[in-house]
Amino acid sequence: MELTNRETWAALHGMVFGSLFLLAFAGGLAGLWSLRPEWVTISGLRERMLRLKLGVTSMALIAWVTVITGTWIVYPWYRAAPPQGTTDFTDYPRSLLLATPGKEDWHTFGMEWKEHIAWASPILATAVAFIVLYYGSQLIVDKRLRMLTIGLFVAAFAAAGVAGLLGALITKAAPVQ
Amino acid sequence: MATMGSRLEGGRTAEDVRWTAEELELVEKANGPAAAALMGAGLGVFWLGLLTTLNEASTKIHDWLIFDEGVGPLSGKTIVAVVLWLGSWAVLSVPLWRRNISYGMVIAVTVAFLAMGFIGTFPKFFELFAE
Repeated sequence: MELTNRETWAALHGMVFGSLFLLAFAGGLAGLWSLRPEWVTISGLRERMLRLKLGVTSMALIAWVTVITGTWIVYPWYRAAPPQGTTDFTDYPRSLLLATPGKEDWHTFGMEWKEHIAWASPILATAVAFIVLYYGSQLIVDKRLRMLTIGLFVAAFAAAGVAGLLGALITKAAPVQ
Repeated sequence: MATMGSRLEGGRTAEDVRWTAEELELVEKANGPAAAALMGAGLGVFWLGLLTTLNEASTKIHDWLIFDEGVGPLSGKTIVAVVLWLGSWAVLSVPLWRRNISYGMVIAVTVAFLAMGFIGTFPKFFELFAE
């Protein structure tokens, strides 16, 4: 039971960083949603705010780490062109997908969408982190700003969700190994 | 007096909100920085979509965007989009920093740029422009 260097990076990118972002989303969303003065005490709100600041900042950082490792470390292995005359494309996932009848769309649609939409996530998550850090407790009484922040947070999650789902399915069809 | 968020929740009165704001020791901040962050994020996604589509539409742009041979044009698309996003955010922040902006306008601008950006990154759309 061993992982190659490439498999380790692919797992870190998708199963550790990417999954961590997606899993932490529910906590962040609950934190933002529950910033309501009528639901908790003042001391409870303060404690919740500190946790929220740490949470959204960590999520923005994780989103950046996920797209940077994906684009600059794993993706070059995925798109590497095989040497002339190669017939076994196992080590060249993009070529394998394009050469296998019925699997071309995993690259032409799946990877082409994933590699671009994924980058929306850290941009949106960073804006959310800035708003939470800068405004802090003001989000408790400014409902419209809180709802806008939640909207952006959901958009960041949706972008990461599309990228993560496509990444998992593409890896199943043609893994980086 | 920090009375922001005049829209009340849970049937509370304006007095209740004022009390909560005071108890939280809030110093009201203008919503301009948030507006700049929100519209800047929309612009960031828009730049990403625009570069993705331009990459398909022009071989010259495609070749220019190859900042790294291993990553291909995705390297240029992402680096340029991030630089443009940070630049847009900074440019928007300067005039908006101490101002209060209509949330309606912020929502309209942000949603419009986000929608255009997401459409621009969708393969069935940008392939229409393939050179």
